[in-house]
Amino acid sequence: MSAYAPEVDFRLPPDKEAALARARRIEWWSIFFLGTIIVVLAFTMGSSQAMKAMWVEDTVSLIPFAAFLIGAHFRRRPPDDSFPYGYRRAILIAFLAGSVTLLGFGLYLFGESVYKLLAAERPTVQTVELFGRRVWLGWLMVAALLYSVVPPFVLGRMKEPLARELHDKALHASATINKGDWLAGLAGVAGIFGIAYGLWWADSAAAAFISLEIVRDGFSNLRNSVAQLMNKRPTDVESKEDDPVVDEVQRALLGLGWVREARVRLREDGDTLSGEAFVVPRDERDLFERLQQAAEVVHEVDWRLHDVNIVPFETLEPSGVEEGGEGA
Amino acid sequence: MRLSCLVAALALCALTQACVNLPRDPEGTLARVEGGRLRVGLVEHPPWVVRTEGEPSGAEVELVRRFAAELRSRPEWHWGGEQRHMEALERFELDLVVGGVTDQTLWWKYVGLTGPYFEEAYAVGFPGAPTPPPKGLKGLEVAVREGDPLAYYLSKEGAVPTRVLSLQPPSGPAAAPTWELESLGLTPSGQTLHTEKHVMAVAPGENGFLRRLEEFLSRERPHVKGLLQKEAVR
Repeated sequence: MSAYAPEVDFRLPPDKEAALARARRIEWWSIFFLGTIIVVLAFTMGSSQAMKAMWVEDTVSLIPFAAFLIGAHFRRRPPDDSFPYGYRRAILIAFLAGSVTLLGFGLYLFGESVYKLLAAERPTVQTVELFGRRVWLGWLMVAALLYSVVPPFVLGRMKEPLARELHDKALHASATINKGDWLAGLAGVAGIFGIAYGLWWADSAAAAFISLEIVRDGFSNLRNSVAQLMNKRPTDVESKEDDPVVDEVQRALLGLGWVREARVRLREDGDTLSGEAFVVPRDERDLFERLQQAAEVVHEVDWRLHDVNIVPFETLEPSGVEEGGEGA
Repeated sequence: MRLSCLVAALALCALTQACVNLPRDPEGTLARVEGGRLRVGLVEHPPWVVRTEGEPSGAEVELVRRFAAELRSRPEWHWGGEQRHMEALERFELDLVVGGVTDQTLWWKYVGLTGPYFEEAYAVGFPGAPTPPPKGLKGLEVAVREGDPLAYYLSKEGAVPTRVLSLQPPSGPAAAPTWELESLGLTPSGQTLHTEKHVMAVAPGENGFLRRLEEFLSRERPHVKGLLQKEAVR
Protein backbone atom coordinates (compact mmCIF):
# COMPACT_ATOMS: atom_id res chain seq x y z
CA MET A 1 0.00 0.00 0.00
CA SER A 2 2.53 2.57 1.06
CA ALA A 3 5.69 3.23 -0.83
CA TYR A 4 7.70 1.79 2.02
CA ALA A 5 6.88 -0.72 4.71
CA PRO A 6 4.85 0.70 7.55
CA GLU A 7 7.09 1.93 10.29
CA VAL A 8 7.44 -0.13 13.43
CA ASP A 9 4.96 0.80 16.08
CA PHE A 10 5.44 4.08 17.85
CA ARG A 11 7.27 3.71 21.16
CA LEU A 12 6.77 6.15 23.99
CA PRO A 13 9.90 7.47 25.73
CA PRO A 14 10.43 5.52 28.99
CA ASP A 15 9.34 8.37 31.27
CA LYS A 16 6.15 8.85 29.26
CA GLU A 17 5.57 5.12 29.31
CA ALA A 18 5.64 5.28 33.12
CA ALA A 19 3.24 8.23 33.11
CA LEU A 20 0.89 6.33 30.82
CA ALA A 21 0.92 3.30 33.12
CA ARG A 22 0.09 5.60 36.03
CA ALA A 23 -2.70 7.26 34.05
CA ARG A 24 -4.13 3.85 33.24
CA ARG A 25 -4.09 2.86 36.91
CA ILE A 26 -5.85 6.12 37.85
CA GLU A 27 -8.48 5.55 35.16
CA TRP A 28 -9.15 2.08 36.49
CA TRP A 29 -9.62 3.53 39.97
CA SER A 30 -11.92 6.16 38.50
CA ILE A 31 -14.10 3.49 36.99
CA PHE A 32 -14.13 1.49 40.21
CA PHE A 33 -15.15 4.45 42.36
CA LEU A 34 -17.66 5.64 39.80
CA GLY A 35 -19.23 2.18 39.86
CA THR A 36 -19.68 2.35 43.62
CA ILE A 37 -21.01 5.92 43.37
CA ILE A 38 -23.56 4.91 40.74
CA VAL A 39 -24.82 2.10 42.98
CA VAL A 40 -24.99 4.30 46.09
CA LEU A 41 -26.84 7.07 44.24
CA ALA A 42 -29.28 4.60 42.70
CA PHE A 43 -30.20 3.32 46.18
CA THR A 44 -30.83 6.78 47.62
CA MET A 45 -32.26 8.46 44.54
CA GLY A 46 -35.92 8.62 45.64
CA SER A 47 -37.87 11.28 43.79
CA SER A 48 -35.18 13.95 43.76
CA GLN A 49 -34.55 15.39 40.33
CA ALA A 50 -31.05 16.52 41.34
CA MET A 51 -30.17 12.98 42.39
CA LYS A 52 -31.41 11.68 39.06
CA ALA A 53 -29.29 14.23 37.20
CA MET A 54 -26.26 13.29 39.29
CA TRP A 55 -26.82 9.65 38.59
CA VAL A 56 -26.94 10.27 34.85
CA GLU A 57 -23.90 12.55 35.04
CA ASP A 58 -21.91 9.85 36.80
CA THR A 59 -23.11 7.07 34.54
CA VAL A 60 -22.22 8.86 31.32
CA SER A 61 -18.92 9.90 32.91
CA LEU A 62 -17.92 6.28 32.54
CA ILE A 63 -17.73 6.74 28.77
CA PRO A 64 -14.66 9.00 28.54
CA PHE A 65 -12.89 6.99 31.24
CA ALA A 66 -13.51 3.79 29.37
CA ALA A 67 -12.61 5.52 26.09
CA PHE A 68 -9.19 6.40 27.48
CA LEU A 69 -8.55 2.82 28.55
CA ILE A 70 -9.75 1.37 25.26
CA GLY A 71 -7.56 3.87 23.45
CA ALA A 72 -4.59 2.97 25.63
CA HIS A 73 -5.16 -0.66 24.72
CA PHE A 74 -5.46 -0.12 20.97
CA ARG A 75 -2.59 2.32 20.67
CA ARG A 76 -0.22 -0.57 21.29
CA ARG A 77 -1.47 -2.58 18.35
CA PRO A 78 0.94 -2.29 15.41
CA PRO A 79 -0.31 -1.32 11.94
CA ASP A 80 -1.21 -4.23 9.67
CA ASP A 81 -2.20 -4.74 6.06
CA SER A 82 -5.83 -3.83 6.62
CA PHE A 83 -5.08 -0.80 8.77
CA PRO A 84 -1.74 0.49 7.55
CA TYR A 85 -2.03 3.66 9.64
CA GLY A 86 -2.47 1.66 12.83
CA TYR A 87 -5.31 1.64 15.29
CA ARG A 88 -4.80 4.75 17.33
CA ARG A 89 -7.61 6.67 15.68
CA ALA A 90 -10.17 4.03 16.70
CA ILE A 91 -10.50 5.88 19.97
CA LEU A 92 -11.92 8.90 18.17
CA ILE A 93 -15.02 6.97 17.20
CA ALA A 94 -15.65 5.96 20.80
CA PHE A 95 -15.05 9.53 21.80
CA LEU A 96 -17.52 10.89 19.28
CA ALA A 97 -20.22 8.43 20.33
CA GLY A 98 -19.60 9.24 23.99
CA SER A 99 -19.84 12.96 23.53
CA VAL A 100 -23.06 12.72 21.55
CA THR A 101 -24.55 10.62 24.36
CA LEU A 102 -23.38 13.13 26.93
CA LEU A 103 -24.86 16.04 25.02
CA GLY A 104 -28.17 14.27 24.43
CA PHE A 105 -28.60 13.25 28.07
CA GLY A 106 -27.66 16.72 29.23
CA LEU A 107 -30.22 18.42 27.02
CA TYR A 108 -32.94 15.96 28.01
CA LEU A 109 -32.28 16.40 31.71
CA PHE A 110 -32.11 20.16 31.38
CA GLY A 111 -35.47 20.21 29.63
CA GLU A 112 -37.00 17.97 32.26
CA SER A 113 -35.63 20.04 35.14
CA VAL A 114 -36.87 23.29 33.67
CA TYR A 115 -40.26 21.70 33.05
CA LYS A 116 -40.44 20.60 36.69
CA LEU A 117 -39.56 24.11 37.78
CA LEU A 118 -42.23 25.66 35.58
CA ALA A 119 -44.84 23.09 36.56
CA ALA A 120 -43.89 23.73 40.21
CA GLU A 121 -43.57 19.99 40.83
CA ARG A 122 -42.84 19.33 44.50
CA PRO A 123 -40.31 16.63 45.35
CA THR A 124 -41.71 14.33 48.04
CA VAL A 125 -38.95 12.66 50.02
CA GLN A 126 -39.90 9.86 52.37
CA THR A 127 -38.20 8.46 55.44
CA VAL A 128 -36.61 5.04 55.62
CA GLU A 129 -36.04 2.63 58.46
CA LEU A 130 -32.35 2.59 59.33
CA PHE A 131 -31.02 0.72 62.37
CA GLY A 132 -34.44 0.85 63.97
CA ARG A 133 -34.90 4.59 63.43
CA ARG A 134 -36.79 6.55 60.80
CA VAL A 135 -34.29 8.60 58.86
CA TRP A 136 -35.24 11.16 56.25
CA LEU A 137 -34.01 9.87 52.89
CA GLY A 138 -32.72 13.38 52.10
CA TRP A 139 -29.92 12.95 54.65
CA LEU A 140 -28.90 9.69 53.02
CA MET A 141 -28.90 11.48 49.66
CA VAL A 142 -26.60 14.12 51.11
CA ALA A 143 -24.29 11.42 52.44
CA ALA A 144 -24.29 9.64 49.07
CA LEU A 145 -23.60 12.89 47.22
CA LEU A 146 -20.76 13.82 49.57
CA TYR A 147 -19.27 10.40 48.96
CA SER A 148 -19.64 10.98 45.22
CA VAL A 149 -17.67 14.23 45.51
CA VAL A 150 -14.46 12.86 46.98
CA PRO A 151 -13.11 10.38 44.39
CA PRO A 152 -13.54 12.64 41.33
CA PHE A 153 -12.01 15.54 43.24
CA VAL A 154 -8.88 13.57 44.12
CA LEU A 155 -8.59 11.56 40.89
CA GLY A 156 -9.24 14.57 38.64
CA ARG A 157 -6.39 16.42 40.28
CA MET A 158 -4.10 13.45 39.74
CA LYS A 159 -5.04 13.20 36.07
CA GLU A 160 -4.49 16.80 35.09
CA PRO A 161 -0.66 16.88 35.28
CA LEU A 162 -0.51 13.49 33.56
CA ALA A 163 -2.70 14.71 30.72
CA ARG A 164 -0.35 17.65 30.26
CA GLU A 165 2.70 15.41 30.32
CA LEU A 166 1.25 12.86 27.90
CA HIS A 167 -0.48 15.48 25.72
CA ASP A 168 -3.48 13.21 25.94
CA LYS A 169 -6.79 14.87 25.17
CA ALA A 170 -8.88 11.88 26.20
CA LEU A 171 -7.23 11.96 29.60
CA HIS A 172 -7.69 15.69 29.82
CA ALA A 173 -11.37 15.32 28.97
CA SER A 174 -11.76 12.75 31.69
CA ALA A 175 -10.09 15.09 34.20
CA THR A 176 -12.49 17.86 33.15
CA ILE A 177 -15.43 15.55 33.60
CA ASN A 178 -14.18 14.63 37.07
CA LYS A 179 -14.25 18.31 37.89
CA GLY A 180 -17.81 18.56 36.58
CA ASP A 181 -18.75 15.51 38.66
CA TRP A 182 -17.70 16.91 41.98
CA LEU A 183 -19.09 20.34 41.24
CA ALA A 184 -22.40 18.76 40.31
CA GLY A 185 -22.29 16.67 43.48
CA LEU A 186 -22.04 19.82 45.58
CA ALA A 187 -24.89 21.38 43.62
CA GLY A 188 -26.93 18.27 44.38
CA VAL A 189 -26.19 18.64 48.11
CA ALA A 190 -27.40 22.24 47.93
CA GLY A 191 -30.57 21.03 46.20
CA ILE A 192 -31.33 18.48 48.93
CA PHE A 193 -30.69 21.07 51.65
CA GLY A 194 -33.13 23.25 49.74
CA ILE A 195 -35.80 20.55 50.05
CA ALA A 196 -35.00 20.17 53.74
CA TYR A 197 -35.61 23.88 54.29
CA GLY A 198 -38.89 23.79 52.40
CA LEU A 199 -37.56 25.34 49.17
CA TRP A 200 -39.17 22.92 46.76
CA TRP A 201 -37.59 24.59 43.69
CA ALA A 202 -34.02 24.08 44.94
CA ASP A 203 -33.96 20.47 43.82
CA SER A 204 -34.98 21.14 40.22
CA ALA A 205 -32.76 24.21 40.08
CA ALA A 206 -29.78 22.14 41.19
CA ALA A 207 -30.71 19.52 38.61
CA ALA A 208 -30.83 22.18 35.89
CA PHE A 209 -27.37 23.35 36.94
CA ILE A 210 -26.04 19.80 36.89
CA SER A 211 -27.54 19.10 33.48
CA LEU A 212 -25.96 22.28 32.10
CA GLU A 213 -22.67 20.87 33.34
CA ILE A 214 -23.39 17.67 31.40
CA VAL A 215 -24.27 19.68 28.28
CA ARG A 216 -21.02 21.61 28.60
CA ASP A 217 -18.99 18.41 28.92
CA GLY A 218 -20.80 16.89 25.98
CA PHE A 219 -20.42 19.89 23.76
CA SER A 220 -16.71 20.44 24.37
CA ASN A 221 -16.00 16.74 23.89
CA LEU A 222 -18.05 16.69 20.71
CA ARG A 223 -16.19 19.69 19.32
CA ASN A 224 -12.91 18.10 20.25
CA SER A 225 -13.60 14.74 18.69
CA VAL A 226 -15.01 16.24 15.51
CA ALA A 227 -11.94 18.47 15.22
CA GLN A 228 -9.66 15.48 15.60
CA LEU A 229 -11.63 13.41 13.12
CA MET A 230 -11.32 16.29 10.67
CA ASN A 231 -7.57 16.42 11.20
CA LYS A 232 -7.44 19.80 12.83
CA ARG A 233 -3.92 21.11 13.36
CA PRO A 234 -2.43 20.21 16.76
CA THR A 235 -3.59 22.32 19.69
CA ASP A 236 -2.55 22.50 23.29
CA VAL A 237 -4.24 20.04 25.66
CA GLU A 238 -5.48 22.72 28.04
CA SER A 239 -5.43 26.14 26.40
CA LYS A 240 -6.68 24.81 23.06
CA GLU A 241 -4.27 27.25 21.43
CA ASP A 242 -2.23 26.28 18.39
CA ASP A 243 0.61 23.98 19.28
CA PRO A 244 3.96 25.60 18.35
CA VAL A 245 5.25 22.21 17.22
CA VAL A 246 4.32 22.92 13.59
CA ASP A 247 6.54 26.00 13.49
CA GLU A 248 9.29 24.19 15.34
CA VAL A 249 9.37 21.44 12.74
CA GLN A 250 9.43 24.01 9.98
CA ARG A 251 12.32 25.87 11.64
CA ALA A 252 14.24 22.61 12.11
CA LEU A 253 13.87 21.83 8.41
CA LEU A 254 14.91 25.31 7.35
CA GLY A 255 17.92 24.90 9.64
CA LEU A 256 19.20 22.25 7.26
CA GLY A 257 21.52 23.91 4.76
CA TRP A 258 20.09 22.23 1.68
CA VAL A 259 16.45 23.17 2.36
CA ARG A 260 15.35 26.30 0.53
CA GLU A 261 11.69 26.20 1.50
CA ALA A 262 9.60 24.04 3.79
CA ARG A 263 5.95 23.73 4.65
CA VAL A 264 4.59 21.44 7.34
CA ARG A 265 1.13 20.12 8.02
CA LEU A 266 0.40 17.96 11.03
CA ARG A 267 -2.60 16.28 12.60
CA GLU A 268 -3.21 14.65 15.95
CA ASP A 269 -3.65 10.90 16.12
CA GLY A 270 -4.62 10.62 19.74
CA ASP A 271 -1.36 11.43 21.50
CA THR A 272 0.97 11.31 18.48
CA LEU A 273 1.43 13.81 15.69
CA SER A 274 1.63 12.73 12.06
CA GLY A 275 1.60 14.48 8.75
CA GLU A 276 3.76 15.69 5.92
CA ALA A 277 6.64 18.08 5.49
CA PHE A 278 7.05 19.45 1.99
CA VAL A 279 10.60 20.58 1.26
CA VAL A 280 12.20 22.31 -1.69
CA PRO A 281 15.89 21.36 -1.89
CA ARG A 282 18.40 23.89 -3.25
CA ASP A 283 19.70 21.14 -5.57
CA GLU A 284 19.10 17.46 -6.05
CA ARG A 285 22.46 16.24 -4.81
CA ASP A 286 22.27 13.23 -2.38
CA LEU A 287 18.52 13.66 -2.19
CA PHE A 288 17.85 10.25 -0.62
CA GLU A 289 20.39 10.75 2.16
CA ARG A 290 19.16 14.28 2.74
CA LEU A 291 15.53 13.19 3.04
CA GLN A 292 16.58 10.49 5.49
CA GLN A 293 18.44 13.11 7.51
CA ALA A 294 15.45 15.45 7.39
CA ALA A 295 13.16 12.71 8.73
CA GLU A 296 15.52 12.11 11.64
CA VAL A 297 15.76 15.82 12.41
CA VAL A 298 11.98 16.20 12.31
CA HIS A 299 11.29 13.29 14.62
CA GLU A 300 13.72 14.68 17.16
CA VAL A 301 11.82 17.95 17.52
CA ASP A 302 9.15 16.46 19.74
CA TRP A 303 8.59 13.00 21.20
CA ARG A 304 5.04 12.95 19.89
CA LEU A 305 6.09 13.19 16.24
CA HIS A 306 5.56 9.89 14.50
CA ASP A 307 5.32 8.86 10.89
CA VAL A 308 5.97 12.31 9.42
CA ASN A 309 6.63 12.00 5.68
CA ILE A 310 9.21 14.22 4.02
CA VAL A 311 8.04 15.04 0.52
CA PRO A 312 10.47 16.76 -1.88
CA PHE A 313 9.05 19.35 -4.27
CA GLU A 314 10.57 21.45 -6.99
CA THR A 315 8.70 24.52 -5.85
CA LEU A 316 6.04 25.41 -3.32
CA GLU A 317 3.59 27.58 -5.18
CA PRO A 318 0.79 28.96 -3.01
CA SER A 319 -1.67 26.19 -3.57
CA GLY A 320 -3.38 25.82 -0.21
CA VAL A 321 -1.65 22.62 0.84
CA GLU A 322 0.59 24.43 3.30
CA GLU A 323 -0.18 24.76 6.97
CA GLY A 324 -2.00 27.95 7.70
CA GLY A 325 -3.44 27.88 4.21
CA GLU A 326 -6.77 26.22 4.79
CA GLY A 327 -6.31 24.28 8.01
CA ALA A 328 -6.28 25.63 11.55
CA MET B 1 -11.82 23.60 48.70
CA ARG B 2 -13.33 26.04 51.18
CA LEU B 3 -16.73 25.41 49.62
CA SER B 4 -16.55 21.68 50.18
CA CYS B 5 -15.46 22.26 53.80
CA LEU B 6 -18.46 24.49 54.30
CA VAL B 7 -20.80 21.93 52.80
CA ALA B 8 -19.29 19.16 54.91
CA ALA B 9 -19.74 21.27 58.03
CA LEU B 10 -23.31 22.04 57.05
CA ALA B 11 -24.06 18.39 56.49
CA LEU B 12 -22.56 17.40 59.83
CA CYS B 13 -24.51 20.06 61.64
CA ALA B 14 -27.67 19.01 59.85
CA LEU B 15 -27.19 15.34 60.64
CA THR B 16 -26.65 15.94 64.34
CA GLN B 17 -29.15 18.51 65.54
CA ALA B 18 -31.22 19.96 62.71
CA CYS B 19 -32.58 16.47 62.00
CA VAL B 20 -35.17 17.15 64.66
CA ASN B 21 -37.03 19.94 62.85
CA LEU B 22 -36.03 19.27 59.27
CA PRO B 23 -37.30 18.74 56.62
CA ARG B 24 -39.75 21.62 56.57
CA ASP B 25 -43.01 21.86 54.62
CA PRO B 26 -43.08 24.35 51.74
CA GLU B 27 -46.79 24.93 52.54
CA GLY B 28 -46.42 24.62 56.32
CA THR B 29 -48.86 21.70 56.71
CA LEU B 30 -47.40 20.31 59.93
CA ALA B 31 -47.33 23.67 61.70
CA ARG B 32 -50.91 24.40 60.64
CA VAL B 33 -52.25 20.98 61.63
CA GLU B 34 -50.64 20.92 65.07
CA GLY B 35 -53.25 22.24 67.44
CA GLY B 36 -55.52 22.99 64.47
CA ARG B 37 -57.65 20.95 62.13
CA LEU B 38 -56.58 17.99 60.00
CA ARG B 39 -58.46 17.84 56.70
CA VAL B 40 -58.85 14.16 55.84
CA GLY B 41 -60.25 12.82 52.58
CA LEU B 42 -62.02 9.48 53.10
CA VAL B 43 -62.59 6.98 50.30
CA GLU B 44 -64.93 4.15 51.29
CA HIS B 45 -62.95 0.90 51.33
CA PRO B 46 -63.91 -1.56 54.09
CA PRO B 47 -62.32 -2.58 56.33
CA TRP B 48 -59.82 0.29 55.89
CA VAL B 49 -62.35 3.09 55.70
CA VAL B 50 -65.96 2.23 56.57
CA ARG B 51 -68.91 4.53 56.08
CA THR B 52 -71.51 4.40 58.81
CA GLU B 53 -74.57 6.40 59.78
CA GLY B 54 -72.54 8.33 62.32
CA GLU B 55 -68.81 8.78 62.75
CA PRO B 56 -66.64 7.04 60.15
CA SER B 57 -64.87 3.88 61.18
CA GLY B 58 -62.28 1.50 59.76
CA ALA B 59 -58.66 0.64 60.47
CA GLU B 60 -57.22 3.68 58.72
CA VAL B 61 -59.80 6.02 60.22
CA GLU B 62 -58.75 4.76 63.65
CA LEU B 63 -55.07 5.32 62.76
CA VAL B 64 -55.81 8.86 61.60
CA ARG B 65 -57.72 9.54 64.86
CA ARG B 66 -54.68 8.45 66.87
CA PHE B 67 -52.34 10.50 64.69
CA ALA B 68 -54.55 13.59 65.09
CA ALA B 69 -54.60 13.07 68.84
CA GLU B 70 -50.81 12.95 68.84
CA LEU B 71 -50.73 16.31 67.04
CA ARG B 72 -53.50 17.70 69.33
CA SER B 73 -55.41 18.26 66.15
CA ARG B 74 -59.09 17.91 65.27
CA PRO B 75 -59.76 15.59 62.28
CA GLU B 76 -62.24 16.89 59.73
CA TRP B 77 -63.72 14.10 57.59
CA HIS B 78 -64.55 14.59 53.93
CA TRP B 79 -66.20 11.71 52.07
CA GLY B 80 -65.66 11.38 48.37
CA GLY B 81 -64.14 9.50 45.48
CA GLU B 82 -60.44 8.96 44.97
CA GLN B 83 -60.20 11.16 41.86
CA ARG B 84 -61.61 14.22 43.57
CA HIS B 85 -59.72 13.67 46.80
CA MET B 86 -56.36 13.18 45.12
CA GLU B 87 -56.86 16.30 43.04
CA ALA B 88 -57.74 18.24 46.18
CA LEU B 89 -54.61 16.82 47.84
CA GLU B 90 -52.46 17.86 44.91
CA ARG B 91 -53.84 21.43 45.27
CA PHE B 92 -53.33 21.48 49.06
CA GLU B 93 -57.07 21.53 49.80
CA LEU B 94 -56.73 18.35 51.87
CA ASP B 95 -53.92 17.24 54.18
CA LEU B 96 -54.36 13.49 54.04
CA VAL B 97 -56.25 10.91 51.99
CA VAL B 98 -56.97 7.36 53.21
CA GLY B 99 -58.98 4.55 51.69
CA GLY B 100 -56.94 1.38 51.26
CA VAL B 101 -54.42 3.10 48.99
CA THR B 102 -51.47 0.90 48.06
CA ASP B 103 -48.01 1.76 46.76
CA GLN B 104 -49.25 0.74 43.29
CA THR B 105 -51.47 3.82 43.09
CA LEU B 106 -51.14 5.74 39.87
CA TRP B 107 -51.41 8.97 41.86
CA TRP B 108 -47.80 8.68 43.04
CA LYS B 109 -46.75 11.25 40.47
CA TYR B 110 -49.08 13.94 41.76
CA VAL B 111 -49.27 13.48 45.51
CA GLY B 112 -46.87 12.40 48.26
CA LEU B 113 -47.05 8.84 49.57
CA THR B 114 -45.87 7.40 52.85
CA GLY B 115 -43.72 4.31 52.73
CA PRO B 116 -45.70 1.05 53.09
CA TYR B 117 -46.86 0.65 56.69
CA PHE B 118 -48.73 -2.62 56.27
CA GLU B 119 -48.14 -5.55 53.97
CA GLU B 120 -51.30 -7.44 53.20
CA ALA B 121 -50.51 -10.95 52.08
CA TYR B 122 -53.25 -12.82 50.21
CA ALA B 123 -53.38 -16.58 50.52
CA VAL B 124 -55.70 -19.59 50.40
CA GLY B 125 -57.01 -20.74 53.78
CA PHE B 126 -58.15 -24.25 54.61
CA PRO B 127 -60.67 -25.29 57.21
CA GLY B 128 -59.33 -27.37 60.06
CA ALA B 129 -55.89 -26.45 61.27
CA PRO B 130 -54.22 -29.82 61.86
CA THR B 131 -54.61 -31.42 58.42
CA PRO B 132 -51.67 -30.34 56.32
CA PRO B 133 -52.97 -28.30 53.36
CA PRO B 134 -52.29 -29.75 49.91
CA LYS B 135 -49.04 -28.83 48.24
CA GLY B 136 -50.33 -27.14 45.12
CA LEU B 137 -53.54 -25.34 44.23
CA LYS B 138 -53.98 -27.06 40.86
CA GLY B 139 -57.58 -27.94 40.12
CA LEU B 140 -58.65 -26.94 43.64
CA GLU B 141 -61.96 -25.12 44.00
CA VAL B 142 -61.37 -21.98 46.04
CA ALA B 143 -64.00 -19.50 47.20
CA VAL B 144 -63.28 -15.88 46.42
CA ARG B 145 -65.44 -12.78 46.85
CA GLU B 146 -67.34 -11.61 43.80
CA GLY B 147 -65.46 -8.84 41.99
CA ASP B 148 -62.17 -9.47 43.74
CA PRO B 149 -59.05 -9.32 41.50
CA LEU B 150 -57.73 -12.16 43.62
CA ALA B 151 -59.63 -14.58 41.34
CA TYR B 152 -57.05 -13.79 38.67
CA TYR B 153 -54.15 -14.77 40.91
CA LEU B 154 -55.99 -17.97 41.82
CA SER B 155 -56.44 -19.02 38.18
CA LYS B 156 -52.79 -18.15 37.55
CA GLU B 157 -51.87 -20.77 40.15
CA GLY B 158 -54.15 -23.29 38.48
CA ALA B 159 -56.94 -23.12 41.07
CA VAL B 160 -60.62 -22.88 40.09
CA PRO B 161 -62.04 -19.69 41.62
CA THR B 162 -65.62 -19.93 42.82
CA ARG B 163 -67.13 -16.45 43.09
CA VAL B 164 -69.26 -16.06 46.20
CA LEU B 165 -71.06 -13.10 47.73
CA SER B 166 -69.64 -13.68 51.19
CA LEU B 167 -66.87 -15.86 52.56
CA GLN B 168 -68.86 -16.26 55.79
CA PRO B 169 -69.41 -18.97 56.87
CA PRO B 170 -66.49 -20.72 55.20
CA SER B 171 -67.48 -23.90 53.40
CA GLY B 172 -64.09 -25.01 52.09
CA PRO B 173 -60.85 -23.42 50.91
CA ALA B 174 -61.14 -19.64 50.52
CA ALA B 175 -58.84 -16.89 49.28
CA ALA B 176 -58.46 -13.68 51.30
CA PRO B 177 -55.84 -11.64 53.17
CA THR B 178 -54.17 -13.77 55.83
CA TRP B 179 -55.47 -11.59 58.67
CA GLU B 180 -59.02 -12.28 57.44
CA LEU B 181 -58.40 -16.00 56.97
CA GLU B 182 -57.39 -16.12 60.62
CA SER B 183 -60.63 -14.39 61.61
CA LEU B 184 -62.60 -16.87 59.52
CA GLY B 185 -60.94 -19.74 61.34
CA LEU B 186 -59.08 -20.89 58.24
CA THR B 187 -55.42 -21.89 58.18
CA PRO B 188 -53.48 -20.04 55.50
CA SER B 189 -51.31 -22.18 53.29
CA GLY B 190 -47.73 -21.03 53.13
CA GLN B 191 -48.09 -19.89 49.53
CA THR B 192 -48.74 -16.16 49.04
CA LEU B 193 -50.96 -15.36 46.04
CA HIS B 194 -50.46 -11.63 46.06
CA THR B 195 -49.13 -8.86 48.30
CA GLU B 196 -50.44 -5.34 48.70
CA LYS B 197 -48.43 -2.65 50.43
CA HIS B 198 -50.66 -0.09 52.08
CA VAL B 199 -49.74 3.58 52.18
CA MET B 200 -51.41 6.90 52.96
CA ALA B 201 -51.40 9.91 50.66
CA VAL B 202 -50.31 13.41 51.67
CA ALA B 203 -49.94 16.67 49.77
CA PRO B 204 -46.92 16.68 47.42
CA GLY B 205 -43.62 17.87 48.85
CA GLU B 206 -44.89 18.39 52.41
CA ASN B 207 -41.92 16.47 53.70
CA GLY B 208 -42.09 17.57 57.34
CA PHE B 209 -45.69 16.42 57.73
CA LEU B 210 -44.88 13.24 55.81
CA ARG B 211 -41.97 12.46 58.10
CA ARG B 212 -44.15 12.92 61.20
CA LEU B 213 -46.84 10.66 59.74
CA GLU B 214 -44.35 7.98 58.77
CA GLU B 215 -42.84 7.99 62.25
CA PHE B 216 -46.33 7.54 63.68
CA LEU B 217 -47.22 4.72 61.26
CA SER B 218 -43.94 2.98 61.96
CA ARG B 219 -44.90 2.87 65.66
CA GLU B 220 -48.45 1.69 64.90
CA ARG B 221 -47.31 -1.02 62.51
CA PRO B 222 -47.80 -3.93 64.99
CA HIS B 223 -51.38 -2.85 65.75
CA VAL B 224 -52.71 -2.63 62.19
CA LYS B 225 -53.60 -6.30 61.91
CA GLY B 226 -55.62 -6.12 65.15
CA LEU B 227 -57.49 -3.05 63.91
CA LEU B 228 -58.40 -4.83 60.66
CA GLN B 229 -59.63 -7.96 62.46
CA LYS B 230 -61.69 -5.89 64.88
CA GLU B 231 -63.26 -4.09 61.94
CA ALA B 232 -64.07 -7.31 60.05
CA VAL B 233 -65.98 -8.69 63.05
CA ARG B 234 -68.39 -5.74 63.07
